[in-house]
Amino acid sequence: MIPVAHYVILSSILFVLGGLGFLVRRNVLVALMSIDVMLNAVNLALVAFNRSHLQASHLQAYSGQSHLGQIFAFFVIAVEAAEVAVGLAIVLSLYRLTGTVRSDEAHLLRN
Amino acid sequence: MPLFPSHDYSLIAVILGMPLLGAFINGIWGKRLGDAAVKVMALSAVGISFAASVTAFAALAHLTSQEHEAHVRLTWNAWEWMHTTGGAGNVVPVAVRFSIDALSGVMMLVVTGVGFLIHLYSTSYMAGDKGYARFFAYLNLFIFSMLVLILADNLALLFVGWEGVGLCSYLLIGFWYETRSNAAAGKKAFIANRIGDFGLLIAMFLLVHYTGSLDWTGIENGASSLISLSGQGRVSVWPPGGGEYTGPLHWLQPAVPLTVLPATAIGLALLLGCTGKSAQIPLYVWLPDAMAGPTPVSALIHAATMVTAGIYLVCRLSFVFVLSPFTMMAVAVVGASTALFAATIAVVQNDIKKVLAYSTISQLGFMFLGVGVGAFEAGFFHVFTHAFFKACLFLGAGSVIHAMHARIHDGEKSQDIRNMGGLRKWLPHTHWTFLAATLAIIGFPLTSGFFSKEEILYRTLVNHTVNPSSGRYPKYHFFEPPAALGMVLFGAAVLAASFTAFYMCRLYFLTFWGDFKGWTVGRPSLLARQELAAEDHDAHATDDDAHGHPAEDLSTPGYAPHESPWEMTVPLMVLAVFALAAGLLNHFGGDKHPMDHWLEPVFRAAREGAIVVAQGQTEEWAQAQEHVVTAFGVLAFAAGTALAWWMYVAKRGAPAKQLAAALPGLHKLVLDKWRIDELYDATILAGVDSVAETSAAADKYIVDGLLARVTSLLVAAAGAVLRAMQTGVVHVYGATMVVGLAAMGWFFAVPHPNATVADAGSDDYVVTAAPGLGYGYRWDADGDGTPDKVEFGPDATLKLHVEPGKTTTVRLEVRNAFGFVKGRNIQVTHSPAAISAL
Repeated sequence: MIPVAHYVILSSILFVLGGLGFLVRRNVLVALMSIDVMLNAVNLALVAFNRSHLQASHLQAYSGQSHLGQIFAFFVIAVEAAEVAVGLAIVLSLYRLTGTVRSDEAHLLRN
Repeated sequence: MPLFPSHDYSLIAVILGMPLLGAFINGIWGKRLGDAAVKVMALSAVGISFAASVTAFAALAHLTSQEHEAHVRLTWNAWEWMHTTGGAGNVVPVAVRFSIDALSGVMMLVVTGVGFLIHLYSTSYMAGDKGYARFFAYLNLFIFSMLVLILADNLALLFVGWEGVGLCSYLLIGFWYETRSNAAAGKKAFIANRIGDFGLLIAMFLLVHYTGSLDWTGIENGASSLISLSGQGRVSVWPPGGGEYTGPLHWLQPAVPLTVLPATAIGLALLLGCTGKSAQIPLYVWLPDAMAGPTPVSALIHAATMVTAGIYLVCRLSFVFVLSPFTMMAVAVVGASTALFAATIAVVQNDIKKVLAYSTISQLGFMFLGVGVGAFEAGFFHVFTHAFFKACLFLGAGSVIHAMHARIHDGEKSQDIRNMGGLRKWLPHTHWTFLAATLAIIGFPLTSGFFSKEEILYRTLVNHTVNPSSGRYPKYHFFEPPAALGMVLFGAAVLAASFTAFYMCRLYFLTFWGDFKGWTVGRPSLLARQELAAEDHDAHATDDDAHGHPAEDLSTPGYAPHESPWEMTVPLMVLAVFALAAGLLNHFGGDKHPMDHWLEPVFRAAREGAIVVAQGQTEEWAQAQEHVVTAFGVLAFAAGTALAWWMYVAKRGAPAKQLAAALPGLHKLVLDKWRIDELYDATILAGVDSVAETSAAADKYIVDGLLARVTSLLVAAAGAVLRAMQTGVVHVYGATMVVGLAAMGWFFAVPHPNATVADAGSDDYVVTAAPGLGYGYRWDADGDGTPDKVEFGPDATLKLHVEPGKTTTVRLEVRNAFGFVKGRNIQVTHSPAAISAL
């Protein structure tokens, strides 16, 4: 069995990569993708920790083991989908408005 | 099992509910229903209420005769309202509970009966007014509130009705609110009543505290605790509420605190409440202004019913008032002085409604005088008779104004008696009914007013109030009114009665005798007749509210004033019959006094030991005085009437003019109502105004000028800094978020060894480490530099013993889930100062 540390290290590398991508890339689409990479890095950590720290569920109706981390990952995926839907809609309107998807040109809020 | 048992007399729900229903329907849907439906609703609501009242009264009479003249009540418990706590820590339930006894039964009949007649009168008087539905909604709501006031079984519920009638009074005084002075009059009435309500509330609190009850029976049972001979049981007036002042105001602390008996404090507070509602000195000023409302309102609220609520309350709580002879004296003195004072003003007023308003104040003064000398039946009997003759007078005045309105549309001029005269020819029904009511109020022998006023005068002379406890505690000094008080009050009352006869006859003669001075009566020219016909329609429609009419040339001939329709004259006739005959209710068949007899159970407990024959006199003396008093009363009536006849009929007003010319200063002063309004303006109102102006200035310069400006400057400065950070570039915002995220990551990655120290008593201390995600703790309590345990454990607290004056250093190390470890030294000091503080 692969130790949990390996998962965590992979997750951290992915998270930092995503963060860096979000910081340095000017294309909004790529920024969105970077956010997704970060979220998936978190998902990986959640799932890995859940698997390595199996505990009895504290729900009264369910007597098996707790899969809170796994379930939480699903929630993250659902939020991610929503985020992408909204994000792409914003990108689309930004493109229609300015003819570009570069984030440093999106300064309509200035002044 | 009867349909309505006396302990659950649910017919009261009908008596109360119908006017409320009428108010609700007319208030919500009145505009859409149309005037005819509104009329039916309003009349049937009060009519059914009256019928139910008569039924209830008959049931009460039956029960009384069964129970051998005990003080019986028909009660109905609607629901439990709330609980409060009495002075002894007992629970005081406050229920929405109504009861009818001899006193409230009579009052209930008067309110619904006279109320019905005035409703009927109003259907014609208010015809065509654009607020027709609103008027009847208010009027029905008033009947409901008044019935709540009368039938309430406890003081808290009475207060609900008390405020309710105040509200309706306010709404109806300002009924034609588009005129500024009307709205101002409404406000004045409301505010003057608020001052009185303050007294009533204080009395209520004191009653709960001392008697532990708010309902009538409970207060009566607990009344003995209102006379306290010990220092603690008394109410501290100065300093307010007792205690001792320290600090900068200590010089206000008297050497001996000024205390009064609870009975006196409660009685005086109640008296304040009653002076507000019943328009007595010093709070009477609102009633003359209240004449701004429609005339039926003046008749119903400001003459017959609402203003008598104060006397009703004194009667209701008579057993509290008699415990304090000082309060009784205060009630009597207030009453007598108001009766005389208001009568002097009424002598010179020229507005027909103003004369009647001051006459009402004066008559209310008589009632207060009656209850103040312990003649509760007499005072209340005057309430009863006054309701008929004063309602009749006001409605008669309304009929006269109605007639004057045919050509004089200005509210003030149409009510001026100098523009009237000779109206008896054209308004025969109004004339006869007005005459009947006038005879009653001036005390023409055998009319209702004669009997009720005579009885008050008689009791004033012979009664003397003493503290009912004085016999039990002979060594204790109780207050006793001076022996000459009865004579002084009697003199004032006789003088006021003769003034009454004078000003009422003056009013009657100037209105109905002599020549008509309003306009030239004759055949109008064709042109004028057309104009008149066009105008006649809306002249009646708008009534007092006659703005927009062109001022008519009154020198051109016009039709004579006309009699009012039957809806207005029938109530007048009914009231006139009662005004003449109601006195017989108490005086047919020699010594038998049915009304006194009927009310006797209500006041039996109160009178016992408290009301005695004047000092040094005997019962025989008192009985002998009856004829003397009657002689004085008739003399007062005859003198006033004769003077008025001589002045205004025989000499056609010439002596009055000469007198006014001879004493211009005095005449002007009385015409200006002794300038009491101006006095209040200059003292109380000016004081309040200056406080308000100071507050306004503080608001303007300190709050707005300083506080608001400094705050806004701070916000603006913060905004200027933050604005620089808002570049508007999405990219920068993203970067900021990443930095923030990194900072949070750092915060969670590093352990934080924080701890709090708590004193556990007896030199023990507990050190508690702050919790955190995945934290493990280890402690070094002995100070040897190495942790007590090698393992990190979940134990977040450490207990240790520190001797006074010593300091111990413990070390806390925290490891988090990442395995990072951080430590901190914590000093636990047991300071000696803490001991002295304990």
